Amino acid sequence: MSITDNPTTGASGIHLSKDMQQLVYRLLAAGLLCLALSIASDAFLTSNNILNVLRQASLLFFLASGLTLVILTGGLDLSVGANIGLSACMAATAIKATGSPVLGTLAGLATGLLIGLCNGLMVAKLRIPSFIATYGMLWVLHGITYYYMAGESIHGFPPEFRQIGSGYFLGIPIPIYLMVVFLLAGTFFAQRTVWGQQIYAIGANPVAARLTGIPVDRRLILVYAFSGAMAGVASIVFLARLNSAEGDIGETMTLPAIAAVLIGGASLFGGIGSVFGTFIGALILTLVLNGMNLLAVNASWQPLVTGAIVIFAVWLDMYGRKKA
Amino acid sequence: MSDQALSPSAPARVKMPSVPGVVMALALLFILFAALSPGFLTTGNLSNILVQSVILLLLALPMTLIIMTEGLDLSMGAVLTLASLVLALTILSTGSLLLAFAAAVGVGLAFGLLNGWLVSMLSIPPFVATLGTMGAAQGLALLVSDGQSVVGIPRYVRQIYSGDVIGIPNPILIGIGFYALFHVLLYHTRFGTYICALGGNRDALTLAGVKWKRLLISVYMLGGAMAGVAALLMTARMNAGHPTAAIGMEFDAIAAVALGGTSFEKGNGWVLGTLLGVLTVGVLRNGLNLMAVPSSVQVTCIGVLVIFALLLDGMRSKS
Amino acid sequence: MRAVPDTMPRTVQPIPADPPGFPLLELRGISKSFPGVKALDDVSFPIWPGEVHMLLGENGAGKSSLMKVLCGAYQADEGEFFHNGEKVEINSPADARRFGIAVIFQEFSLVPYLDVAQNIFLGREFSSKIPGLLDRGRLYREAQAVLDLIGLDVSPYTKVHTLGVAQQQMVEIGKALSQNARILVMDEPTASLSDRETERLFEVMRQLQAKGVAIIYISHRMAEVFSMGDRITVLRDGKMVGRAMPDTSTPDELVRMMVGRNIDMTYPRHFTTDPGEVVLEVKGLSAKNGIEDINLTIRAGEIVGLCGLVGSGRTEVARAIFGADEVTAGEIRLFGKQQNGGPDAASRAGVGLIPESRKTEGLALIRTVGDNLAVAGLPKLFPNNLFSPRTARRTAEEIIKRLRIATPSPNQNVGVLSGGNQQKVVIGKWLAAGTRLFIFDEPTRGIDVGAKSEIFALIDQLVSEGAAVLMISSEQAEIVHVCDRAYVMRSKRIVGELSRSDLSEENIVRMGMHDE
Repeated sequence: MSITDNPTTGASGIHLSKDMQQLVYRLLAAGLLCLALSIASDAFLTSNNILNVLRQASLLFFLASGLTLVILTGGLDLSVGANIGLSACMAATAIKATGSPVLGTLAGLATGLLIGLCNGLMVAKLRIPSFIATYGMLWVLHGITYYYMAGESIHGFPPEFRQIGSGYFLGIPIPIYLMVVFLLAGTFFAQRTVWGQQIYAIGANPVAARLTGIPVDRRLILVYAFSGAMAGVASIVFLARLNSAEGDIGETMTLPAIAAVLIGGASLFGGIGSVFGTFIGALILTLVLNGMNLLAVNASWQPLVTGAIVIFAVWLDMYGRKKA
Repeated sequence: MSDQALSPSAPARVKMPSVPGVVMALALLFILFAALSPGFLTTGNLSNILVQSVILLLLALPMTLIIMTEGLDLSMGAVLTLASLVLALTILSTGSLLLAFAAAVGVGLAFGLLNGWLVSMLSIPPFVATLGTMGAAQGLALLVSDGQSVVGIPRYVRQIYSGDVIGIPNPILIGIGFYALFHVLLYHTRFGTYICALGGNRDALTLAGVKWKRLLISVYMLGGAMAGVAALLMTARMNAGHPTAAIGMEFDAIAAVALGGTSFEKGNGWVLGTLLGVLTVGVLRNGLNLMAVPSSVQVTCIGVLVIFALLLDGMRSKS
Repeated sequence: MRAVPDTMPRTVQPIPADPPGFPLLELRGISKSFPGVKALDDVSFPIWPGEVHMLLGENGAGKSSLMKVLCGAYQADEGEFFHNGEKVEINSPADARRFGIAVIFQEFSLVPYLDVAQNIFLGREFSSKIPGLLDRGRLYREAQAVLDLIGLDVSPYTKVHTLGVAQQQMVEIGKALSQNARILVMDEPTASLSDRETERLFEVMRQLQAKGVAIIYISHRMAEVFSMGDRITVLRDGKMVGRAMPDTSTPDELVRMMVGRNIDMTYPRHFTTDPGEVVLEVKGLSAKNGIEDINLTIRAGEIVGLCGLVGSGRTEVARAIFGADEVTAGEIRLFGKQQNGGPDAASRAGVGLIPESRKTEGLALIRTVGDNLAVAGLPKLFPNNLFSPRTARRTAEEIIKRLRIATPSPNQNVGVLSGGNQQKVVIGKWLAAGTRLFIFDEPTRGIDVGAKSEIFALIDQLVSEGAAVLMISSEQAEIVHVCDRAYVMRSKRIVGELSRSDLSEENIVRMGMHDE
């Protein structure tokens, strides 16, 4: 019963918690990536390109931040990409019908939230494994969206709505501000609320969490609903940027979003990860894809690279666990 | 379990083999479409359903085995697409169908090996491992085709799909052949027995001295190889290779397996159920087609059916 | 405090005469340690062909460790095996199989969706003349022969998951028999069998005996120990404490051998004469997990024991009270208020469960000590849902100080702490939640001696501050020394209550044994 089993926290020198170390490594990786890209391509270190990278990262981040919470509970939401599609189309329809960007935005958010809620109910109450439930949801949403749009597109939105996606404030794109807001809000929710703490506890050990009196089902529903709502946010920004809603909008974004969360250090087995980590993950992935773009690599390599990154990130997590 | 331990003298609960849900679903859809659409109940159309279901069957059969090991293969559709492109390109460059077919199966085997290795050796959860390889296969499909359809395949290739032997369309014969193969594989070989045990109780296999890791890899390789075989039929049907041809087809396969009553847990599965599940998906798609319902809604219908099937599965395992 | 006589290994005399020739298998000086526990300590005994060797001992006496060593799942740290007089090694399941040792564990090694025949011959399938295919005809013929042998009246085509527990147990037995075992190890095989099935099993055992098969048989039922056993070995605390022949010993002697032990420490306990208000009242409680008609009461300031054999339903009672398993009948009243809800409702009402398996059910091992200490108290500490790491840290530090948890800081990963300190963290998390009724399930499992007395001092402190405690323990000595009262369970029911004056190890064992 002595304090012998703790050689790690020495008294001298700077010591960071493990989570902080992981974040520092990832920031370093992002920094090195920037350095390499600025050497490889003159076009990289222009303010235009940097803002462009950040704006792209913001879209990915909206989606990935919601997904982070789901993955923190040890689940997965494969329907986020398809969710964007339907939410965007609903938002577009509402704007066209009412002329009000506010109502349109609300319609988009509500659609996303509702889809997330359905996912949450399937996972928490019906106990369908999350990857199967949300995979089924993916195709249900696809079908509904394609049927609803019937190959058409809805375009031409009021300028004030388009500001959300393509406007600038003090020379910086609006989506970047939104990203900062959601980064702060998401971090606050995960780190500074009881619910956030309980979500971590559920992911770390769902059985223990239940036997500790945490209402696991309710928190799970909350998390999936949040993920759906964040897909709604992404759909609004996407829509405002593209100024056009089509059925396949967001279709290819699920894999990058998962990749961003996993690069950000979240563990697929739950309980480890942070919204800030995901932010860095989104940044790294965007840098990689942007770099490939600048170096004129065929865009078809993108899904391949993303897929490889997902597997690599999971392997890294597994490897770290085995060693620990 | 525990209350049975209390009253062990009571006869064990023997489940009545009730009518499987998939048979009811199939019968209901059949009657529904027969009533609603006059073109449905014709020999031509029924044969059409069978022919069109074969490619799906080729994917759903190995998917059944994979799911029985408590696994999943989300990359199958993308691998099929890639294999079909490779097949088309090889035939254009070499003119040899045999070589092209070998290339397609080779691509499938390679992806199956990768999937199996990730799942078995690195213990990466199957749905993520195959989600990652799905991305990889999609990317490769775009790369090898440059995003364009591959056309100009010699016309005789088409015969594979549209030809017949003594009046029976080739695809149906191929489907019957592979169904029989999988039936034998699952019920008459060690491999099949061990697949069931892989999902049901891996410890039992270890205790019995079976090296199951290699076995698990071979299950995924079988899936890849079958995607290669399906690629031949698909290319023959379209007489072209198309970079997005079979994207998402793994969903139809998973749906058919789930509808057929194969469970995602405990190694509970049967290939006859999968056959019926494939027919159910086939009838549903065909009937909706005849009623001019767009393909998108068909996907939604299948999705709803699957969630329903999973619910039933969950309720059954609970009781 | 009751004085416990110092009973040194008391061999019932005379030592059973050994038959001539070599034993089939002989263990000499087998020892096996786990961190903090010596599971087997210098165990030696021979197994003769054709005998039924009864192995007796309390929970945790080392019987299962011995079985695992025998089947090659564990490797002994020290000791030797002799097979027909020749020294051999048993380092793997394959070794054990080579010497004809087959073990029937209580946990089933069956595949639920394979049929009976496939399960019996899993890994030993018969090939047919066509390469690659199985000879199914032979499979089912041979399986039928095995079923006939054990008298199990089911078709070999039946899927195993449709069988009851008793029938699954028989299939396990059949599986072991079909391997032509020379030494068959059975762990309470009759625990889930009916009288008829038990009789049938005994018949099979006698047939095997006649063929020279040796059977090592672990049992808690005195009746069968005396009716079936040729020779009895008693284990206690990992040591062999006695060998006996059934015709020269009595059940009472065996019970004394099983429980008699040196208590090398005393548990501090301040007994109160007048307990406070009723904290928990359970009436006619039945639950889906199998328990039936449970009635019990716990008052503030009391430690109430819940004892019985492993599998008698003690943990199930705890889980039902905590709302973790669905209740089917009866009522639970906490502080006079009817309770029906999940663990979240129970913990709000002031109940805390310290589960048996702290690593899988009690702690989030990848999180820090501080996180684990704060997690149960979150709603109480932060009623407005705003979490403050500083408050959480302060709370954690207070608990660390109060429970003297040996950790350099709350930021330490809980996974690296010793068992005793981990257990303190599980207890500590309920302190922050303001818990008034603590349910301990095996609080000292896998904890070293020093930490044990600390845990008991802590429990004593809790009740003297007005909390109530329900304590499940397989260590009868602990129950006897710590508890004010105890309930004894058998077959998912409470079969008796022992007041402080009646509380003794012998009484607990007698009441809890299947000794009909």
